[in-house]
Amino acid sequence: MTMAAADKVVVTGTGAICAAGKTPDEILDAVQAGKSAISPIQGWDASAWPTGVAGEITGVSPTALIEDRKIHKLIRRTHLLGLYAASHAIENAGFVAHRDKLAAEAAAVFSDRTGVYVGSGGGTYQDQYEFFPLMSTGDGSLRTFGQELGATVNPMWLLRALPNNVLCHIGIRYGLKGPNACITNHSVSGTLAVIEAALALRAGEADQAVAVGHDAPIEPESLLYYQRLGLLAADALLPFDAERSGSLMGEGAAALVLETATAAASRQAAVLGEVLGSGYAAEGEGLLTIREDGDGLARSIVAALEDAGIHADDVGMIVAHGNGTRQSDSSEAAAIRRVFGASVPPITAFKWAFGHLLAGAGILDAVLALRALRQRSVPGIATLRRIDPEFAGLPISADAQTPRTDVALVISRGFAGTNAALLLRAAPGD
Amino acid sequence: MEARRRVAITGLGLVTPAGLDVATTWDALLAGRSGVAPISLFDASGFPVRIAAEVKGFDGSRAIDDRKLLKFANRSHRFALAAADEAIRDAGMRPTPETGTRWSCVVGTGMMGVEFADLADVHRRCAPDGEFDPQRLLAEQDGGMDPIVFCRSQSAAGVSLLLRRFGIRGYASSVHTACASGGQAIGTALKLIRRGTADYALAGGFDSMISPVGLGSFCLLSALSPDNETPQRASRPFDRTRNGFVLGEGAGFVVLEEWNAARRRGAKIYAELAGDGNSLSSYRITDSHPSGDGPIQAMQQALSDAGAKLDEVDYLNAHGTSTPMNDRSECAAVRAVFGPHTERLSVSSTKSVMGHLIAAAGAVEVAVCALAIRHGVLPTNANLKELDPECDLNIVRGEPRRRRVRVAISNSFGFGGSNSCVVLRNPEEVERAAASRA
Repeated sequence: MTMAAADKVVVTGTGAICAAGKTPDEILDAVQAGKSAISPIQGWDASAWPTGVAGEITGVSPTALIEDRKIHKLIRRTHLLGLYAASHAIENAGFVAHRDKLAAEAAAVFSDRTGVYVGSGGGTYQDQYEFFPLMSTGDGSLRTFGQELGATVNPMWLLRALPNNVLCHIGIRYGLKGPNACITNHSVSGTLAVIEAALALRAGEADQAVAVGHDAPIEPESLLYYQRLGLLAADALLPFDAERSGSLMGEGAAALVLETATAAASRQAAVLGEVLGSGYAAEGEGLLTIREDGDGLARSIVAALEDAGIHADDVGMIVAHGNGTRQSDSSEAAAIRRVFGASVPPITAFKWAFGHLLAGAGILDAVLALRALRQRSVPGIATLRRIDPEFAGLPISADAQTPRTDVALVISRGFAGTNAALLLRAAPGD
Repeated sequence: MEARRRVAITGLGLVTPAGLDVATTWDALLAGRSGVAPISLFDASGFPVRIAAEVKGFDGSRAIDDRKLLKFANRSHRFALAAADEAIRDAGMRPTPETGTRWSCVVGTGMMGVEFADLADVHRRCAPDGEFDPQRLLAEQDGGMDPIVFCRSQSAAGVSLLLRRFGIRGYASSVHTACASGGQAIGTALKLIRRGTADYALAGGFDSMISPVGLGSFCLLSALSPDNETPQRASRPFDRTRNGFVLGEGAGFVVLEEWNAARRRGAKIYAELAGDGNSLSSYRITDSHPSGDGPIQAMQQALSDAGAKLDEVDYLNAHGTSTPMNDRSECAAVRAVFGPHTERLSVSSTKSVMGHLIAAAGAVEVAVCALAIRHGVLPTNANLKELDPECDLNIVRGEPRRRRVRVAISNSFGFGGSNSCVVLRNPEEVERAAASRA
């Protein structure tokens, strides 16, 4: 289906937080400098754990992220991160300030025409540990559980755990009332939030939208499951390296403010880039199964190119999912080769620097990709010691490379064999 | 400009507290036969609320002939697999290796990933005195950390099982906007077919929160009806004496396909899935604005998206949870949208019979609207004895109402302020409009 007549979708604001920094600039600077923020876990004593490191955000007080103390009692850590990144993006896009200058009726229309799209990690195991004191009271029976419930558990428990908390609190905080979604689909969630927001703008369902992805998956139970499933490395996430042995968890969030080109132009907003197109496909062979040939990912990249109306040669750089597991990196490379043949643009991946943010991963990569394009520098994978011979000939490097055009392909992959491809063009850089 | 692709609903599947399939659920809805009863799934004797709308007599292994798949499925996933199976069978068409990439699957999924037995197991091993000790988890990991528990508890677990079961290889997503999840999932699937991203979709919702934690967390919010002695009367949307919702569980699925393709293969078309509206209330986490702000925009968007006129809408399947706030605010929204047409709009909340299926509610109720269109009969709003003057809509009371439905709409509003409205159109109306154009 051609979309030639539709308005372009432009990016007018970004925000991000992870172990490597509290703004997109800080994070990309750390990546460009080759600095990894992976460090020993401080959330609990993990010194004896098979995987004792992660990309934790440390030394930041919650009120430094969101001043309003009331909100902290209503949400979880993951929501705080999402709310922070989204607020940052909204404030630097300046559209709320713009709305506040409009007459009441026009401002109401503006709010109704502003969408919010969230990719959420869903929840953690430890959310439910707040029922443990109750489960230990009295004789431990369910009868006692029911009787003592009100006296023991925070009445706000359910509201604090809502997977869609970032969606509703952004809405309330900024008075946004347009179309919305909260996607809870593992590691593609944040990217799907961008995809759905961009498509809603193209279809004329909204004039501007906030897309945000957030996750805080570093917790004991989850970490042990991932480790037992063979998905985690012991101490380093080494994308495309011969020695790679798994992923590492990271926490954080990232956000993009998207607008139609018309909406952005009408308020003279500074444009950072453009969402050119997207593709998304599942392999559907099981929760943890990944096809070796990269079938789903190849299909999603081809769909994204078609959607954007560009050719593989127009892609200037690739931000790979690069989660450091043997299977994912191999099948990802297979898909890239299938689509790009002998003419593959510079490839990089960012997770080595701050871990895998799951629901926040793809959208953080998108935010960083835009900035890297504007700097005309594809960051190196600083952890790369010896590229796996399997990937020989692919432009993967420990050093910075130069993008061959102003377009980036950002890849995200998740459980259930899901694969998302996002194509972004950067506005001329700073 | 190329005309927008039209979307047909060609298959329905239900597992609800009122019945284990579409036919029995529909019969119970018409008869107003309540699915609410004392809780049997666990000992709820100590809880302030001891009633719920449970799915009764469900046997996953009888419904699903794939034991390996069932191992990875929790209770709500089993409902989903069974309801989706029925919908696919009903559509008389399933994904093939050739068409699998043109199928999408969008589901509204619940928030309760961990089953209570698994939580209790971690409690027993790592927190006997109430305080969780991660080192005990590490020490006992070989005995206890079952990866299957992890797989079942992932938010993408349900969609993953459906993809595998049916060989779906296109766009696949799980969404969660609390009680609006099911409606939003179907709205998303509608857009996928319109855009050309997919030609077919399996869309729906599933949930089961009838567990000590799920029930307990709603008790803590005082959101549930405490009428333990009269369970079948407890859910009474729009009644002056209503006092909370009744927790339900289950799943609902629809099969969607591009209209012309459905016509060409001679499919049974229940309805056109004609429009979707989606807004945020941005007011409070648990309530919508008393004026109906939020739901109003969702209904207006949906009707405009469907190109439906107010006087064509014959039936509203209301969100109608039976909480004092929701029903009042929803009625205000309906009046604001329908104005003078409000009186001829027939309204019922089938939560009066099935309870509130949370993330599955919107999807189940879209299926109910499709059945109302097909059969020309509107399910009753059970238990309405004394109409709340603030809810004075044209509510279907007592006997189900015979009425040909041209356009039906289904509302779902979630905690967090997400509002979904889905519009369905009678296929005869679509054909008539096409004929008059030709």
